[in-house]
Amino acid sequence: MADAELAVGRRVGVRHRAFTRERLVFGYSLLVPAILYMALLVGVPFFFSLYLALSDASVGNQVAQYVGLRNFIAIFQDSTVRLALRNTIVFTVIAGIFKIVLGTLMAFLLVQEIPGKKFIRSLVVLPWTLPVAISALAWKWMFDPQFSAINYVATRLHLIHGWPNWLGEPGLAPAAVIAVNVWRGFPFAAIVLMAGMSAVPPELLDAAKVDGATFFLRYQHIVIPLIAPILFVGLLFDTVFTLSDISIVYLLTMGGPENFTEILPTRAFEIGIQAGALGRGAAIALVLFPILVPVVYFLLRNLRRREAL
Amino acid sequence: MNGVEALGRRAALLEEGARRAQARALRRYVLVYLGLVPFLFIAVFPVFWMAITAFKTDADLVNPRVFPFWFHQHPTLGHFTYLFQHTYYGDWIVNTMLIAACVSLVTLLLGVPGGYALARLGLPGAENMGIAIFLGYLIPPILLFIPLSRVVALTHLIDTRWALVLVYPTFTVPYCTWLLSGFFKTVPPEIEEAALVDGCGRVGALVRTVLPVSLAGILTAVIFAFTLTMQDFLYSLVYVSVSDQKPVPLGVATDLIRGDVYFWGSLMAGALLVGVPVAILYSFFLDQFISGITSAAVK
Repeated sequence: MADAELAVGRRVGVRHRAFTRERLVFGYSLLVPAILYMALLVGVPFFFSLYLALSDASVGNQVAQYVGLRNFIAIFQDSTVRLALRNTIVFTVIAGIFKIVLGTLMAFLLVQEIPGKKFIRSLVVLPWTLPVAISALAWKWMFDPQFSAINYVATRLHLIHGWPNWLGEPGLAPAAVIAVNVWRGFPFAAIVLMAGMSAVPPELLDAAKVDGATFFLRYQHIVIPLIAPILFVGLLFDTVFTLSDISIVYLLTMGGPENFTEILPTRAFEIGIQAGALGRGAAIALVLFPILVPVVYFLLRNLRRREAL
Repeated sequence: MNGVEALGRRAALLEEGARRAQARALRRYVLVYLGLVPFLFIAVFPVFWMAITAFKTDADLVNPRVFPFWFHQHPTLGHFTYLFQHTYYGDWIVNTMLIAACVSLVTLLLGVPGGYALARLGLPGAENMGIAIFLGYLIPPILLFIPLSRVVALTHLIDTRWALVLVYPTFTVPYCTWLLSGFFKTVPPEIEEAALVDGCGRVGALVRTVLPVSLAGILTAVIFAFTLTMQDFLYSLVYVSVSDQKPVPLGVATDLIRGDVYFWGSLMAGALLVGVPVAILYSFFLDQFISGITSAAVK
């Protein structure tokens, strides 16, 4: 009797193990195409760019020589690259601050229950949902030196004097580039925040209200702690997008006037593609890497934490 | 008599209270609308300006003496007909649709099995593999466009729209695999187990039970594969310089400018015609995009 039970148990165990093995083989083979593609088109190119950055590879030159850190030394001696690095960081930080402020304001307005909320929401997210190259062109037209719609409105409202050439003056072009980046990104900040706010349980707010907590106390102690993590994640994503975006600067100013809006992506494009110095260009793009590492680290940590829940 | 009087007073008080509450609600609405007006203006004005420009005659566009935000001559479709008759705009639309369709297909072929395996099969290390795949979404094109140009050159696809079909999945596959795995996690395991017990193989269980209930997720993944390819500018700029192979955003931005002259009417017409439908489509799925990147599973 006991023997029979044992035998059955063993058989089930064997079958179970075979079943598990079959399931694992099946599972990993389903993953192979995606992992293979990502390895070949993201992993390999990434390491290849490290190799390029340490070589004198160029479009015409098939046999690249190892040159050590010479590219990195050269790019840090290039004042345009230093300016580009500074601009990249300054633009990202200033634009980030504006996006948080505007996005938060708009999120607080958009979570209110008002008639037509859905329709209004679908209009105010337009800057984020339009293809970026297309909105950059619309802004180029709005900043047109002759027919600027912005100047037309602003001069008539007596907000500005004269007829500034937004994209052509060193003092104004960086502001214009930042403004377009903010315009494009603030709806993203707002939507991320709204997603966070809708996760705040209304019972918690009601309970606090009953206990006599004022509007500001409720926000300070309930809403903000609950939405801070999601706002942080949104900001990190936005930082990755902003640091690496080339289209706004490329289409608005091409880095001009006199390199005042030059950023690392545009410089990497000019050197790596237009001038054909692949190694030097890869090195310029890789300057972004140390900035991206902590951002990506926090993002992945956040994903892992959520995954564990 | 007294009772009736008291009742009447009570009703009056209630009415008064209701009126006050209504007034308060109305005041709140007005305040919220007033607060939203500047945001609406900032968000919509560039699109309105694009639309006005696209339908204005050239003479009307460059007339400095008139109010620019309305028509002073009859609106024209001239810029649109110009696009289709004298530029590659028709080709660009075909290219864009073709690229988007192929990229969506590749994304699903890689992302559906991948997302399913990550979500459902209890693979050891699934979480780390999922995060490793998603990492691909966080390595921005700016770090990859130079080394990838060598890969594209190796495949001899340079200067064809197929180069973009090859590289766009680098950002759609990680995002959509992640998204789909979130969807698959929400499908109750009993459905699948029943199919397995009934003698469907593992593939059969996936195709017959899990996929049909995940259609919404799959549609969402397709929409994102489409909208994410529309957001690209860098890859198309670097890998495609032949006019009739370009997608719309690149074609409009690079081919409609001759020398230093911007033909704003046709530029804005070309931008509007594709930009607005894409924006509307995207906005329907925006919440899912946000929850896709801010959390693991889609609620």
